[in-house]
Amino acid sequence: QEAAKYEKKVLVLDFVKPTPLGNSWGLGGTCVNVGCIPKKLMHQAALLGQALQDARKFGWQFTEEVNHNWMTMTESVQNYIGSLNWGYRVALREKSVTYENAYGEFVGPHTVKTTNKRGVEKLYTAERFLIATGERPRYLGIPGDKEYCISSDDLFSLPYCPGKTLVVGASYVALECAGFLAGLGLDVTVMVRSILLRGFDQDIANKIGEYMEEHGVKFIREFVPIKVEQIEEGTPGILKVTAKSAKGNKIMEGEYNTVLLAIGRDSCTRNIGLDKVGVKINEKTGKVPVNDEEQTNVPYIYAIGDILQDKLELTPVAIQAGRLLVRRLYAGATSKCDYVNVPTTVFTPLEYGACGYSEEAAVEKFGEENIEVYHSHFWPLEWTVPSRDNNKCYAKIICNIQDNERVIGFHVLSPNAGEVTQGFAAAMKCGMTKEQLDNTIGIHPVCAEV
Amino acid sequence: MGWEEKQVRGYSEFVRTAQSYHGRPIFALFCGDKDAEGRSWCPDCVTAEPVVRKELHNMPDGSVFIYCLVGDRAYWKDPNNEFRKNLKLTGVPTLLKYGTPQKLVEEECYKAELVRMLFTED
Repeated sequence: QEAAKYEKKVLVLDFVKPTPLGNSWGLGGTCVNVGCIPKKLMHQAALLGQALQDARKFGWQFTEEVNHNWMTMTESVQNYIGSLNWGYRVALREKSVTYENAYGEFVGPHTVKTTNKRGVEKLYTAERFLIATGERPRYLGIPGDKEYCISSDDLFSLPYCPGKTLVVGASYVALECAGFLAGLGLDVTVMVRSILLRGFDQDIANKIGEYMEEHGVKFIREFVPIKVEQIEEGTPGILKVTAKSAKGNKIMEGEYNTVLLAIGRDSCTRNIGLDKVGVKINEKTGKVPVNDEEQTNVPYIYAIGDILQDKLELTPVAIQAGRLLVRRLYAGATSKCDYVNVPTTVFTPLEYGACGYSEEAAVEKFGEENIEVYHSHFWPLEWTVPSRDNNKCYAKIICNIQDNERVIGFHVLSPNAGEVTQGFAAAMKCGMTKEQLDNTIGIHPVCAEV
Repeated sequence: MGWEEKQVRGYSEFVRTAQSYHGRPIFALFCGDKDAEGRSWCPDCVTAEPVVRKELHNMPDGSVFIYCLVGDRAYWKDPNNEFRKNLKLTGVPTLLKYGTPQKLVEEECYKAELVRMLFTED
């Protein structure tokens, strides 16, 4: 849309290869269809369940038991996503951007071939190309994985309640899904090969795991599934999972209605003809290395989003990179995308917002003696009356002593962590120091005043 | 087989008609009432109607096009009218594909390309 503003003739190719179970979706990419949007809505559904429980302590009286209907929630979520898909179609059309629901691949210099779902092929040429093909969930490569397991691609539109679920993985996707499924009242177990939330501050990752465990999510640590079999067909059916210890030879088995795989995502860069135009990718990971102007090794081909090597996999990052890139190309702008101090939030039952360095990364980069960590547990006022945990919420900042105690890492574990973190991220972008933070008077009574 | 048109007035007649065609693709255009000379009080509706009519042949076979007059201006302005409350309409004209989140509102309705897209979208 940005390029069309500058009167460029633009063609968008968006095509979703159906999941092994046949699932597909509309225009908008992962975030809109099978990521952030449905995830946050379902996380909210789970939070509301908790709120209903708290409500009684605040004086609301209702006698019936409160139950959750998966289909009602899923239909509403999918309806909303449908309106987003439609909105994008209208927006592209209004800006005269041509859209084709077709699979694109390079066949030669400056040329792509598109194939739609009916198999009809077309050829297009262009002056420049932008690759933003994103990623898809990885499968385990064990017997029964593609036939019986689902991934996040299937979860948000599952036409039946998943029931007793085994979530395989310890990524934020795994924990967020496990979190809201448990919040909706389902029996959830998470099978983890080693650590939780690799790449995130481990001190916080462990607190998140503890909180989830105390609130009904079961964890099986240091095991990996080796086989999935179907015991009974159905929606959902019954699956038997056999797992082996990651550290020895112990074998265990379990039965679940649904097995959700969330062990990582792989870039969609292998089958789009990049070799035909000479674009180098990291053979091992499939990621695309780019310079700080998002340009690949082929000058007229650019890339943004999750497929980039060594860059954060977040929707707003991709959007920002894309907009700035187009402005640089067609409007004479010079700003490059700033990948430093990008705030993020993990929407586990107890939300985690972060910006900047984790404690481990800060120690590694600056040395333990050069950083100072300030931290605090706190008890949100809203949790006091319903007697919810009084020592779980937590905030910490990491400061660089050598640079005026500049705040280089911000971490908060609390309700609405995303909302809290956004403001602090802006402050960190301005180079906030500990002293400035101390001099900022807090809003009371809110979690953020800590 | 082509398509057919039904003209209705008011919310209950609209719902009854839409339900009677359950199973077929239903497109609906909501406009303000017309006076004795056939002119609507809603200027955008006046502009949109011919544009929409010109694109009707793009609807899939077997479609039903419901042309619905919502009422007079006063009724429409009431924030609690049934169209706003139940169908979540926010303005007239509105052209929508019944039972889906796909719709066009106000000035979107007189852009032929958008209308065509609504009628032909999968």
